[in-house]
Amino acid sequence: MASHIKEFLGAEKPGDYYSALVEQLKKANGEYHAFNQIDGSVADANNAVPFSSKANICVKGFETTAGSKMLQGYVPPFNATVIERMLGDDRFTFIGETGMDEFGFGTFGTNTEVPAKNAFDSGYAAGGSSSGAAVATALLKYHVALSESTGGSISTPAALNGVVGFTPTYGSVSRYGLIDYASSLDKIGVMARSGEDIRIVFDAVRGRDDYDTTCAVQDIRDEKKKKLFVIEELNQYSDKRIHSHFERLLDTLGEKYEIATKSIGVLGSAVESYYIIAMAEASTNLAKYNGYKYGLQHIEPNARYNEFFTEARANFGVEAKRRIILGTFIRSESVKSRYYTKALSVRSMIIKEMGKVLKEGFIISPTLPVTTPRVSDVKKLTPVQEYAMDIFTVPPSLGGFPHITFPYQYTDGMPIGAQLVGGQANDYAVIDFATEWESEFDYKYKHNIGSL
Amino acid sequence: MDEQEFDRLLKVARLKLSESEKKTIKRDIDEVIRYFDKIAGVAAGDDPSYQPIRVPTRFREDRVIPFKDVELLKKGSKLREGYIIGPKL
Amino acid sequence: MKIGLEVHVALPTKSKLFCSCSMDDAEPNTNICPICTGFPGSKPMLNSAAAESGFSIANALHCKINRNMSFVRKVYFYPDLPKCYQITQMGGAVGSEGYLDIQGKRIGIRRVQIEEDPAQIVRDGMLTLLDFNRSGTPLVEIVTEPDITDEGELRSFIANLRSILYYLGVDINREIKADLNISISDVRVEVKNVTGIKSLIEAARYEIARQHRVLEEGKAIAKETRGYNEKRRITESLREKETDEEYGYVYEPDLTVFDISGMKPAEPVYANEIAEQLAEDSDVNAKTIREMTMLDRHALELIVRFRPKYKMRSIIHAIQRFKKYGKAEVPPPQVIEKLIRLVEDGKEVTKETVASFEEGKDVSIEYAKLGAVQLDKLIKRFLDENPRMVAEYKKRSKTINLIIGRIAKENGLHPKEVAGRVTRLLAGY
Repeated sequence: MASHIKEFLGAEKPGDYYSALVEQLKKANGEYHAFNQIDGSVADANNAVPFSSKANICVKGFETTAGSKMLQGYVPPFNATVIERMLGDDRFTFIGETGMDEFGFGTFGTNTEVPAKNAFDSGYAAGGSSSGAAVATALLKYHVALSESTGGSISTPAALNGVVGFTPTYGSVSRYGLIDYASSLDKIGVMARSGEDIRIVFDAVRGRDDYDTTCAVQDIRDEKKKKLFVIEELNQYSDKRIHSHFERLLDTLGEKYEIATKSIGVLGSAVESYYIIAMAEASTNLAKYNGYKYGLQHIEPNARYNEFFTEARANFGVEAKRRIILGTFIRSESVKSRYYTKALSVRSMIIKEMGKVLKEGFIISPTLPVTTPRVSDVKKLTPVQEYAMDIFTVPPSLGGFPHITFPYQYTDGMPIGAQLVGGQANDYAVIDFATEWESEFDYKYKHNIGSL
Repeated sequence: MDEQEFDRLLKVARLKLSESEKKTIKRDIDEVIRYFDKIAGVAAGDDPSYQPIRVPTRFREDRVIPFKDVELLKKGSKLREGYIIGPKL
Repeated sequence: MKIGLEVHVALPTKSKLFCSCSMDDAEPNTNICPICTGFPGSKPMLNSAAAESGFSIANALHCKINRNMSFVRKVYFYPDLPKCYQITQMGGAVGSEGYLDIQGKRIGIRRVQIEEDPAQIVRDGMLTLLDFNRSGTPLVEIVTEPDITDEGELRSFIANLRSILYYLGVDINREIKADLNISISDVRVEVKNVTGIKSLIEAARYEIARQHRVLEEGKAIAKETRGYNEKRRITESLREKETDEEYGYVYEPDLTVFDISGMKPAEPVYANEIAEQLAEDSDVNAKTIREMTMLDRHALELIVRFRPKYKMRSIIHAIQRFKKYGKAEVPPPQVIEKLIRLVEDGKEVTKETVASFEEGKDVSIEYAKLGAVQLDKLIKRFLDENPRMVAEYKKRSKTINLIIGRIAKENGLHPKEVAGRVTRLLAGY
């Protein structure tokens, strides 16, 4: 599949293209809730591909809430670095902000006031936390989405909405202007309808930034691999259906790649480690939301600050509260070494062990261990059951390894995705794997808003 | 986790829960902590990684660059004579 | 009695610790940006000058330097703290296990850490008014061991610390903010947020006396946190706002490990020790030299420069006179040298002489010129008339300067001219 960006920029478009686009999108959005806000001014654009940004990426002058009531009314006084770079690139024009689980806390996109709906069937979960970005990509023919993942927030919704979702090496794209979930795990990435488009956007936004110390990966490699590894410790978690679909995918890929099974024992503890680190950091990142200065304005002039803060912070959603409490617990002096320090050490092992394997080849897995669940089924999951759904997306997240999700199968009208992981800084090879896949497999979409 | 510890955490985190919220969240949290406890058995050595990548030392040069939109920073605040009004001490 | 200190010192940088906002005084909330106001999405970038300054202070306090320093988040909720966590240092602090020698005693330095200052709170009736200009000011916190045992040592420690910091370009006189830990029994009382050296000493004095009084009354000292009331000059119990606070430190994931091995710390100056050395074999005691030099690098430079040529007393006197009458901030060495000569010749240094020297008018001193025979005669007569001075000289050779001074002064002679012959002739007595 060729680049939609190139195709669009080279095509003749009717004079009212953008205004018609906005109108159609608004209509569709009424049903799918992909966007929190659509930027009406895109109607004045001139031959540029619309890009959206996840609602935790600051856009100057545009309400940016990270899906939280705590940030209602927050209009950032500055652009995130990635936004600055996209706005400065005349191939792109801003179209709006996409919905998400509050602060990125969710696997299925349900932890926010108005959840996005799956673009293939609105009764199904859209996936999270970048639910809106995935749904928007599945709705719009010519569009790219700036998205963000901490532990799978790009892969999961991309897989459930049948789009390509790329999470780059940690530190290759600036996080300046990203509303933090867990700073040592957060990565801004891209969703699109093709690998080639992803590569274009990745190149447009990545690279050193004087406003983010951790944005340190400058040289991106393109080391193609001949081997694909399936990880024993992870694969056992797939349910039967996913297992058989994935086996078929391996059969197909086996024609070009050498497929082998590897054991990385420490990955059995990946999910716990991930959530421990993520919650410890999140509970500090969320300390700043207190009902004054920005976002929600808590009015209670007679309350002293402790009471004031406590009242204001009652506006966090349930999952946010859960994670703040757990994060606060994990950071307690009496248990810190048992959980936090231990999890950081497990991460070191994962970086080392996976890094070794990724020198030899790529790691391939299903994106999720289950097929797309119905929204009603998601609501029945306990937090631990929901966290366990991240079994495949968490290992590369902990290790900062680049990974890409792509659709490889449609069953009962719903797409199914697989995920490929590469070594740190080998992002181009990871993206190109999807591009290669697309040359033999056609992606299907239910919507093609804005097609020419 | 006992009631007392749970309430202490709420106080430290400046969170308030309704009785029903408290019941479900407390139950969830106990379950999650049991899940986290599995990590205790992992032999991981003592080599914490604070970032997934090696971040090289990088400083900012000591140079003044004024922020251009100072007024926008105060838009969400109540002001008095240029001061931002905060919660009572 | 044990006293431990946590001293907060603002570092002399142009911009803030983690952002490029100016450190200059300004109207409230004008030197601010998304970073120092803790806006969502902002990230810290460490100021190299602050790191260097912190390194220099740790080095001057003989600390072990952490060449891979790192930061943590200290989480607590207070209206002046923009992110509700403070970026500070713990195990990864720039310096640890150092010391500072005060007269005759070594005070341990537990840690030197770099951290950010919160916003300033101005109370207006019931209102809390916040000025974020101060937020993000680079600070160094110096934590001592509880090695100070009385008020005198406390004064001396502060004076020495102030001098060391002064020579590193940091003036703490007014800005100093400190927490004191005072225990005269085995109960530790913390006195928080004392501002200024004067208040610090007063707070310590009050608190020591208070604890003694409590014990004398047969009561127990409560383990508590107190504040210092500057107006009433007393310490008072603070409401126990922080009993449930648990800082829950985590590594600061927005920053990294900073390798400072490429940095060079500023050369420390221990004016206190230099004064001791200068006082040896001189006619001035160490205390006088210390008082003049501990917070005056120009005075120290002048003393060191002229010490080989002139008498210490003359140098000190000349500098004192210049400080009193001179116009220039930095005394020009040429002017000082002329003043020293004037002093050595026993002439009085007046406002007018300083002024005319500063204006460049060379008021040359007319010395009487004598032949060698005449000079020897004169000296002999003086020595004969003053047997006690000669006897004194036999005991302490240093007193020769007094003899030379008197002869030169009484006869309007250049001391140098007199000096050579006096030494020679004294040998015959």
